[in-house]
Amino acid sequence: MSRLGLEQMASCFQGLVPAMFFTCSKDGIPNAAFLSHVDYVDPTHVALSFQFFNKSRRNIAENPQALIRVIDPDTNQGYAMRLKYEKSETSGPIFDRMNLRIEAIASYAGLKGIFKLKAADIYLVESVERVPEEPGVKEQRWSPRSGRPDAVFTMKALQDLSMRINTATSLDALLETILSGLKEYFGFSHSMIALVAEKPNTLVTIASRGYPEGGVGAEVQFGEGIIGVVAEAQKPIRISGLLRGMLHANAARKRALDRGLRPDRGGVKLPGLQNPASQLGVPLVVRGELVGVLCLESETPYRFHEEDKTSIELLGSYLAIAIQNMQLQEAGEHGEDSVDEVPARAAAAGNGSSRREITYYRSEEVVMLDGEYLIRSLPARILWKLLQTLKREGRAEFTNRELRLDKSLNLPDYKDNLETRLLLLRRRLEEKGGCVRIVPRGRGRFAVEVGCEVELVERA
Amino acid sequence: MLDKNLTEFLEQGLAIHIGTRNERLQPNGGRVTAVRVEDEGRHIVAFIPKAAHHGVLDDLQSNGQAALSCTRPADDRAVQVKGEFVSMRDADPNEEKFAVAQWEGFLKQLDLIGLPGASTGTWTMWPCVAVKIRVTALFSQTPGPDAGAVLT
Repeated sequence: MSRLGLEQMASCFQGLVPAMFFTCSKDGIPNAAFLSHVDYVDPTHVALSFQFFNKSRRNIAENPQALIRVIDPDTNQGYAMRLKYEKSETSGPIFDRMNLRIEAIASYAGLKGIFKLKAADIYLVESVERVPEEPGVKEQRWSPRSGRPDAVFTMKALQDLSMRINTATSLDALLETILSGLKEYFGFSHSMIALVAEKPNTLVTIASRGYPEGGVGAEVQFGEGIIGVVAEAQKPIRISGLLRGMLHANAARKRALDRGLRPDRGGVKLPGLQNPASQLGVPLVVRGELVGVLCLESETPYRFHEEDKTSIELLGSYLAIAIQNMQLQEAGEHGEDSVDEVPARAAAAGNGSSRREITYYRSEEVVMLDGEYLIRSLPARILWKLLQTLKREGRAEFTNRELRLDKSLNLPDYKDNLETRLLLLRRRLEEKGGCVRIVPRGRGRFAVEVGCEVELVERA
Repeated sequence: MLDKNLTEFLEQGLAIHIGTRNERLQPNGGRVTAVRVEDEGRHIVAFIPKAAHHGVLDDLQSNGQAALSCTRPADDRAVQVKGEFVSMRDADPNEEKFAVAQWEGFLKQLDLIGLPGASTGTWTMWPCVAVKIRVTALFSQTPGPDAGAVLT
């Protein structure tokens, strides 16, 4: 049995530093190969990803003995683990956990269907030894005592965030509070929230922080990218060595394309760091219902740690409840405030003399602004309705209730999420320069402000 | 066997490991500081840290079978060199500069992919044993469906 405990080697199994896998065929020919990920199973077992039927895998089928070398990214200590193959799993929690990570990376690289997990191979760990030529530093480089370069998930940070969230009075404010709190209390500078969209199996980014492009309104299909994979599985995904994983996937992609294999579809265009080293996707789920996904990115390779897992899940549950409660609260406020005393009217951007063309493509339910995509689906139908009313009747003040009662908008009978769609529309218009704006005028009321000359064009 | 292009690739500073096996077909393996291609590509010399105690040298002397995995971290291009043990000796101090330069090339590759190469400063990569291996086969090891294809 091992002299060193696998439980104390959790950092080795984050996928940050690839492992080296040594095998031997039955006729005595050794083989050495990199392995992208070794997964901890229990105190005496690890799981290795089986993605391609390569020489290592053929050797294991003939001779179950293996040696693996791993590096602890915290201390840089090298370990040699002597393994014996026991079985392969193609379903179950271990397979699912490994598959999620690979699916996310594959999807990012546009390799779904090519770069995939065939099985999680389970090995008995017969021994573990420190490698003498690769001694580590005595103190963990990122231990809490030595001071990790970034903040971590702590109960204090969770408490501070929850206290701040409790002060939010609208979905708009809540989302901003979450993202600003994640930066202030946890040190996460790059974050986004995608909520379930009107279209089935689709999410749409509703808020982001730390990305110059904003990216509100970007759609993500279930199963695509880390957000889509998290949504589909409703489980958190933490990727530490994303850059390494992407390089590995891209190498496979190049080979696959050279051979004429085509991936299912291209990559998803979302706000994001150009070279993220770590990503964390957290499903926002309330009583089994997916509300959305929180995605955090970092340029630090080893940003999200195994010991953060419980806190991450707790954070996800809390944020999901907070967002859903606010959605329900806003949707349930059918009564409207009296019109607020309108402050000095914040004019929409533009000098009034500029001319913009807004085109509605009815069959696709897409609105374009000066030939550029603005928004689609329900928010597009709402915008078109508002602008037509403004043009026809000169009326700029609207209520959420009248939109709900408007059959031409085809709102769902159950959980229409109208307030979320209006918020999305408002943010998209702001991102597009603010010539047309939606301005809240109190509970359940808003105004459309137009700061330029607008030509409305409708096409089939 | 190893042409000019492959030689340049192998000697630029890569992640290099050597795999061997004992008489019970148990695999052994360890990190290699540097490699040098000799005799117009028919042989390759692997510089293995003397601090290592992984059974590789015993295996080579007993059965001679060796596999060298050479990977460029920046793009995961990888080649596997199969071979048979010819001889071993203590690496000459004159070879240190060559071997350390190659190791530092590998560390620069690590920096490129966000792994701080300098953090390996505690590792003992020199002095080395120079192990001469006769090249018997070459395989592509770049990840993907063609991994394992024979290189000619």
